[in-house]
Amino acid sequence: MRVTASPLILCIDDEALGLKIRKAVLEKEGYRVLTALDGSSGLNLFKDEPVEGVILDYYMPGMDGGQVAVAMRQQRPDVPILLLSAYVNLPAEVVRMVDFTVLKGEGPNELLIKVRRMLNERQRETGDEGFS
Amino acid sequence: MNLRDFNRVLRETLLLPVLLLLALAIFAAWQIRESSTALEAIDRSDALTAEINELQRLIVDQETGIRGQQLTGDPSMLAPFQAAAAPVNKHFNHLHQALLTRSDESEQPAELQELAAARDRYQLWLGFATGVLNKDPAVVNDPRMNQHGKELMDNVRASIDDLLKTETKVRKTRSASALALERREFVTLIVAAVMVGLMVGLFTISRLRKVSRAYDEALEEVKQQAEEISERREWFETTLASIGDAVIACDGEGNVQFMNAIAEQLTGWPLRDALGHELAEIFRIINEESRQTVENPVEKVRREQTVVGLANHTVLISRSGAEFVIDDSAAPIRGEDGEMRGVVLVFRDVTESRRTEAALIATEKLAVAGRLAASIAHEIHNPLDAIANLLFLLERETERSKRGEYLEMAQQELNRTMQITRTLLSLYREPKAPVPVDVKDLADGVLLLLERRLMQQGIDVEKLFTEPAVVEGYPAELRQVFTNVVLNAIDAAGKGGRVRIRVLPVAAQELRSAGVVIEVWDSGPGISEGARAKLFQPFFTTKGEHGTGLGLWVSNGIMQKHGGYIRITNSSDGDLRGACVSLYLPARSVALPSTPSQNVA
Repeated sequence: MRVTASPLILCIDDEALGLKIRKAVLEKEGYRVLTALDGSSGLNLFKDEPVEGVILDYYMPGMDGGQVAVAMRQQRPDVPILLLSAYVNLPAEVVRMVDFTVLKGEGPNELLIKVRRMLNERQRETGDEGFS
Repeated sequence: MNLRDFNRVLRETLLLPVLLLLALAIFAAWQIRESSTALEAIDRSDALTAEINELQRLIVDQETGIRGQQLTGDPSMLAPFQAAAAPVNKHFNHLHQALLTRSDESEQPAELQELAAARDRYQLWLGFATGVLNKDPAVVNDPRMNQHGKELMDNVRASIDDLLKTETKVRKTRSASALALERREFVTLIVAAVMVGLMVGLFTISRLRKVSRAYDEALEEVKQQAEEISERREWFETTLASIGDAVIACDGEGNVQFMNAIAEQLTGWPLRDALGHELAEIFRIINEESRQTVENPVEKVRREQTVVGLANHTVLISRSGAEFVIDDSAAPIRGEDGEMRGVVLVFRDVTESRRTEAALIATEKLAVAGRLAASIAHEIHNPLDAIANLLFLLERETERSKRGEYLEMAQQELNRTMQITRTLLSLYREPKAPVPVDVKDLADGVLLLLERRLMQQGIDVEKLFTEPAVVEGYPAELRQVFTNVVLNAIDAAGKGGRVRIRVLPVAAQELRSAGVVIEVWDSGPGISEGARAKLFQPFFTTKGEHGTGLGLWVSNGIMQKHGGYIRITNSSDGDLRGACVSLYLPARSVALPSTPSQNVA
């Protein structure tokens, strides 16, 4: 069941237009997508919905990506997080905490590869758990 | 000794001898009067003696007359006797009177007595003689009678002789005393004259000494003053010669009179060659950019009669053709009467410092770009990411309406990217002359570039501007200033802080023409007293390694170039207690067309 159902991804970014386009790209690839324009509303969705992966922007008003990641790890450490940023010099501790990082300049293909890997790993992990 | 003292001494030297000589003359006159009194007394004695002799002669005449008459019986013989009777009496009276009035003589009583005796005896004889005349000749011829008459006459003669003798004695005494007086007067006068002479001499000497002493002192003083003046002159010359800046002094006609070593070095003219030459020949200055000759500062000083500075970018061309960027000022040299006697020119080679300054300004420009780089990368990457995603979708989308939507969005994102790159470029691209700049647009543009940064720091920006506020200026430079100020405010406010930006047009005031004031407040800690004084100095920073320490220094320069100013105070606003930066820009820029070196393409 889990394998056939398309994965639910939470996308958090303060850039409304960019977020809308990113959602379209991910949906085109067959993912289900939830979006939030800031950290706190994103965390609410994360708590309420069965999110399987998170695409998180770093620079945001209010909570930044690092703070959101910390909160998510506290709630559900098993959900993989992909940090998407236009900024190259991300703080090392934030990079260590998340599973993947993608630069905004790298393009949609790179993003989709990383998303696929992220979800595959999770599937494997949960699958292992499921079978053990 | 001043002139008044000197005149007093002169008066004294003239007046005292005159007074002394006058006293001497009065004294001499008195002495002469004394001696003439003595001589008069002698004269009186002589007159008295003569009168006594006359009296005696008259009495003898009378006796002779009587005797003749007795002997001859001729009555005509009696004529002298009778004629003398009245004069004898008169003489007796006269003598008596003369003796009485002569009160000063010690012999007076004796003489009066003798005169009285002579008169008595004469009366006796006269009575006898008259008696004899009235008797008959027989009686007259009686020898006894004759004897008696003779005795009587002898007595008269004896008395008169006594009187004569006494008077002679008196005359002798008088003569002796007159002589003694004369001698005494002579000695006294000599002594007085000698004393006066001595006094006049001594006094004159003392006065002359005083004058000569004063003269010596004055001479010494003049000598000392001359030495002092010469020393001071030397001192000034040494000072001028060893001064670190170049100094050229000209006379009123603008001919070189003095140059120090540095001036010789910069102009390439040794003083001995330059002396008397026109300044324009020695001090050739042109504008750095236009290469046009700059007005001779001597002319300018003559015209304006005040201290003048050179315009910026003045280049001095030395005799050898070498060029130096110089900074200088010229000032009139005035005499005590306020008339201009010449012009002094002080200048220095600022080529090196201009180069350093230019390098620092360039450094700061790069630093501003560096500070913006992360923000700009972010700003560009966001729309680029969106465009890449849209292209990805377009590739896979077949539905027409969707494709149109994607294309529209791509265009939108592309516009945004171009806007950002334009803003970024405008930091560097600068027009050659001041252009109208809308301060509101400028502020918006800067805030756009800094948007991410503000967001990242969670800084709340309060924008108090809506109306366009146009000034004349160089937009890139003004943007640099504004970026600097806002970045400082962001740094000061810190995470979660607040910044307020207000743009307000201001009317002309006493010292300020109409223009625009931009105020930037922050919620930071404000500026410490110690830092405030150094804010505009190059290399002063409160940000440690993160600051170049050039931001405000360059900003200040840019504001001054525009005829504006930048002021930083601590806010008294209860709401925002940090620093408050006020930027004032005049509506009409005073900035000159910019220099090529400041235009970075």
